[in-house]
Amino acid sequence: MNPHALLATLAALALLPAQAADMNKVLRVALNAPETGFDPAKVSDLYSSTVTENIFDPLVTYDYLARPAKLIPNTVSALPAISADGKVYTFRLKPGIYFAADPAFKGKKRELTAADYAYSIKRHLDPAIHSPWSFLVDGRFVGGNELVKAAGKGALNYDAPLDGIRVLDKYTLQLTLTETNFNFLPILAMPAFGAVAREVIEANRDNTNAHPVGTGPYLLKEWKPGSRIVLEANPGFRKLVFNATPGNDPVDKAVVQALQGKTLPQVGRIEISVIEEEQPLWLSFLNRQLDISGIPQVALQNALVIDPKNPLKVRLAEQYARQGIQLQRQLLPEITFHFFNMQDPVVGGDSKDRIALRRAIAMSFPVSEAIAGIRRGQAVPMNYIVPAGVAGHNPAFRGAPKYDPAAANALLDRFGYRIGSDGYRTRPDGKPLSIELACGTSSTDKQWNEYWQKTFDTLKIRLGFRQGKWNELSKANHQGKLQMWGMAWGADYPDGENFMQLLYGKNAGDSNAADFKNADYDRLFEASLKLPHGPARNKLYDAMNKIAVAQQPWIFGDIRMRSTLAHRHVKGLKLHPLLGTSWRYLDLQK
Amino acid sequence: MLAYIVRRVWQMVPTLFGVMLLLFVLFNWVGGDPSYILAGKNLSAEALAGIRQQLGLDLPLPQQFLIFVKQVLTLDFGTSWSTQQPVSTLLHSRIGPSLLLTGSILLLGTVLAIGIAALVAYLRGSLTDRLVTLIATCAMSVSALVYIIAGQYWLAFKGGWFPIMGWSDSTLDNLLHYLPLPLLLGVIVGLAPDIRFYRSCFVEELGHDYVRTARAKGLSEPVIMLKHVLRNAMIPVVTSLMMSLPYLMMGAMLLETFFGIPGMGKEVVMAVERSDFPVIKAITIYIALATMLFNLLTDIIYKLIDPRVQLH
Repeated sequence: MNPHALLATLAALALLPAQAADMNKVLRVALNAPETGFDPAKVSDLYSSTVTENIFDPLVTYDYLARPAKLIPNTVSALPAISADGKVYTFRLKPGIYFAADPAFKGKKRELTAADYAYSIKRHLDPAIHSPWSFLVDGRFVGGNELVKAAGKGALNYDAPLDGIRVLDKYTLQLTLTETNFNFLPILAMPAFGAVAREVIEANRDNTNAHPVGTGPYLLKEWKPGSRIVLEANPGFRKLVFNATPGNDPVDKAVVQALQGKTLPQVGRIEISVIEEEQPLWLSFLNRQLDISGIPQVALQNALVIDPKNPLKVRLAEQYARQGIQLQRQLLPEITFHFFNMQDPVVGGDSKDRIALRRAIAMSFPVSEAIAGIRRGQAVPMNYIVPAGVAGHNPAFRGAPKYDPAAANALLDRFGYRIGSDGYRTRPDGKPLSIELACGTSSTDKQWNEYWQKTFDTLKIRLGFRQGKWNELSKANHQGKLQMWGMAWGADYPDGENFMQLLYGKNAGDSNAADFKNADYDRLFEASLKLPHGPARNKLYDAMNKIAVAQQPWIFGDIRMRSTLAHRHVKGLKLHPLLGTSWRYLDLQK
Repeated sequence: MLAYIVRRVWQMVPTLFGVMLLLFVLFNWVGGDPSYILAGKNLSAEALAGIRQQLGLDLPLPQQFLIFVKQVLTLDFGTSWSTQQPVSTLLHSRIGPSLLLTGSILLLGTVLAIGIAALVAYLRGSLTDRLVTLIATCAMSVSALVYIIAGQYWLAFKGGWFPIMGWSDSTLDNLLHYLPLPLLLGVIVGLAPDIRFYRSCFVEELGHDYVRTARAKGLSEPVIMLKHVLRNAMIPVVTSLMMSLPYLMMGAMLLETFFGIPGMGKEVVMAVERSDFPVIKAITIYIALATMLFNLLTDIIYKLIDPRVQLH
C-alpha cells in the first residue's frame, strides 16, 4: 500500500455543525474488561481510552488508512510548526469547533480554544490529579517543574504563567520543551491529551470520570460502570467529510467505497457491553447481538483455518465466510518479555557468570513452542525492543538467542554452575541455586508456567513460582523482592522512545522494571532523544539493542496478532495500530 | 420479646466491631495496594506516594480504622477508589438486578424444592423417591459452571429460545426476556441440594408419633402433610432460607458475568481485583448487618411457628 496515495484527508468543508449520524444505526460492541472512567487525565486503561478517544479531540490524530501510522491535523489547521532546535511547537486551532452542550456552559455554545488545550495538558502536571500519564510531560515543559514544585501536594495554579505552555491568542498554542525533542507530537495524539473544558471539570470536580464533555464525534449518554456504556452522536460535532484515495489494498478500497463523501460519523448510537467471559462474547457475536468482536482464544480453531506450516497464514472458516463475516488481522504494536531483577544477588549484576546464567535461561525457553501452544500460533517471536509498526523498528535485527538447551547447559558448566549430588545446579560459589518466577493466577499464567518449568528442568535449576495479583507483584518488584517476572508493554504512541525508555537507567524502579542500569545504554538513549526518527537514531537504537542482548536483562517474548471479526453489514472497518476504535468511520448497511 | 430483641440488637455492636476489625486487618494484610493499579504506567515513587496520600493510605493504621468506624456509623463509604463514583450510587444501581435474579431463584427454587421434597418424602422408598434422590445426587456433583456454559450454548445459542445475554432498564423487559434463562439455570443449580435437604426434614417429621396419631384419628393424608408435617418441617426450612437471604445481596457472580447482569456479584469481583477498599467495606458491612438482622428475624419466626420455642 502506498501511504501517500492512500492519504485519507478528513476535510473540514464547513465548520457549522451538521449532524449526519442516523440515530437508528446502532453499533453494538463489547469491551473485554471493565473501564474505570472517562476523565482523560485520570484514566489509563485501554478500555476507558477506547471511549474517551470518541468523546475528546486531541490536537492531532492518525490517518485512518495510512500504514505505518501517520499523524494528521485534527482540531488544528495544519501540523504544528516545529522550531529548528526541536523545542518549540506552535499549533493553530481551527475556529468554529464547539464542545458538546453541558449545563456548565449555561446554555451558551462553547468554542474550543487554545486555552482549553493549555488547561488540559496542565492537568497532567497537577499533583492533585495524579495523572497516570504525567510521566509523559513531567519535566518536558519550560517552567513546568517550578510550577509543580510550587503546588507541593496541592492543586496546580492553572492561572500562573508557564513559559512551556503558552496561549498566544485564542487559537494559537505554543509548547516549549526543555530539551530538543522532534518526536513529541505523537504523545499529543493520545486520547489522554484531548481537550476538556475547565468549566465542566470544575463544575463536576468530585466526579469528573462520569462527566466527559468534549468536542469529539460522540457524547456519553449512559454509563453503568463495569457493565454498559452508551454513546450517542454529538449533534454539535463539526462537519467532517471522508475523502481518501485508495491504493491496491482491498480493505482500503472497501472503506473508501463505503465512506467516500459521507459526513462522519454515520452511526448514531454505540452500545458497549462489558463482556469478560469468552463464551458469551463469542456467542453474542455469532448470534448477531454484537456487530464486531475479537476472536476468543477458545474459538480460534473454530473460527480460523490455520495453516499448520505457517500459523500466521489463516483464513476465515467456511461457515463464517459464507455469512459474509469479515476478518481483519493486525500485529499489535506491543512487546512481551520476562525480565530479571538486575539488582538481585543471584540473577542480577553484570559479572560474566550472571550474564551466562541469564543467557542460558533465555536460550532454553521455547518461545516458538509456547506461541504454538498458548497463542495457537497467533504471535511472532520478539527480536527487537521496538516492535513493528513503531518508528525505530529494525526488522533485520535478531535479538532473541537461538533455542539451544544443550549449548545453554554447556554455558552454565563453563561458568561454574555445577550439578550437585541432588541433580540440581549450584551457584559458582557453591551455594544452592534456586530462582523464583513471579506470575499471575489465571489459567494462561499456569500454561506459561509449564513452559518455564520445562526450561528450568532442562537446565537443572530449581524453580519456584510466586503467584499474586498484579499490583502486589508490582509492589514486590519495586521493593526489589522479585527475581523474574513477565510483562507486556503496548505502544502509547508509535515512537521507539516509548519502548527504548524501558531500559533507561533513570527509569529504574518506574517503567524500567528490570532495574537495568548501564551507562552506555543511558548515554545512547539520551543522544537518541535529540534526534528525529531516521537512520541516525536507528543506529543508536541498534546499539542499545545490542547492549540489551549482551547484558540480557530481558528474555524477549512475543508479539501478538489481533484478529477482529465484523458482520457483513458493518462497512468502513479497518484496524488501526494506535486508534483503539474505528467507530467514527463505520457505517451500518443492513 | 421486646427485651430479647433489644438485647440481641445490643449484641450486634461488638459483632459488627469484630467484622470491621477483621476486614480492616485482612485488607491491609492481603488486600493489595491500590496505588499500583491507579498509577497506571506511572510507577514512580512520587506518583505512588501521591496516590497513597490521596487515598489516606499514608495515615497511621489506627487513624484509618477510625475513619472506617465513622463511615460505618454514617453508612457513608465515600467514593470508589477505581472509578470515583459514590459507593452508595454504585451499590444502589447494582442491588436491583441482583435481588431480581437471586430473589427469583430463591423463590422459585424453594417452592419447587419443597414441593418435590414433600412428594418424594411422602413416597419414601418408592421408585420415584429413589430416582429423584439419584438424579439429585448426580446433579449435585456437576459444577455450576457446567450448567451455565451448557445452558447458554444449547438453550440460548443453539435453541434460540433466549437471548445469549443482556439486561434492560425495564423490569418487565428483564422479566420477559433476560431473566428467564439465568433464572432457570440458577434454579437448576440449587434445586438438587435443596431437594435432598428438605426431603430429609420431611422424612424426619413423617417418622414422628404425632403423624401416626393423626392417621389413627382418620385425618386425610393431605391434611396430615400440609397442616401438621409441613408446619413442623418448616423450622429447618426457615433457618435455611433466612440464612441465605443476606447473601441475595451478593448476587450470583457467575450468572451475572455470563449473562451480562449488572449486579453485585460483578461489582464484588471488580472491587477485589482492583483493591477497591471502599466498595469492599460497604458490601461486607451491609452483608454483616443483614446477616445479623435476619438471624434475629429467624429466631422471632421460630417463636411464631412453634410457640414452644422460648427466646432467652
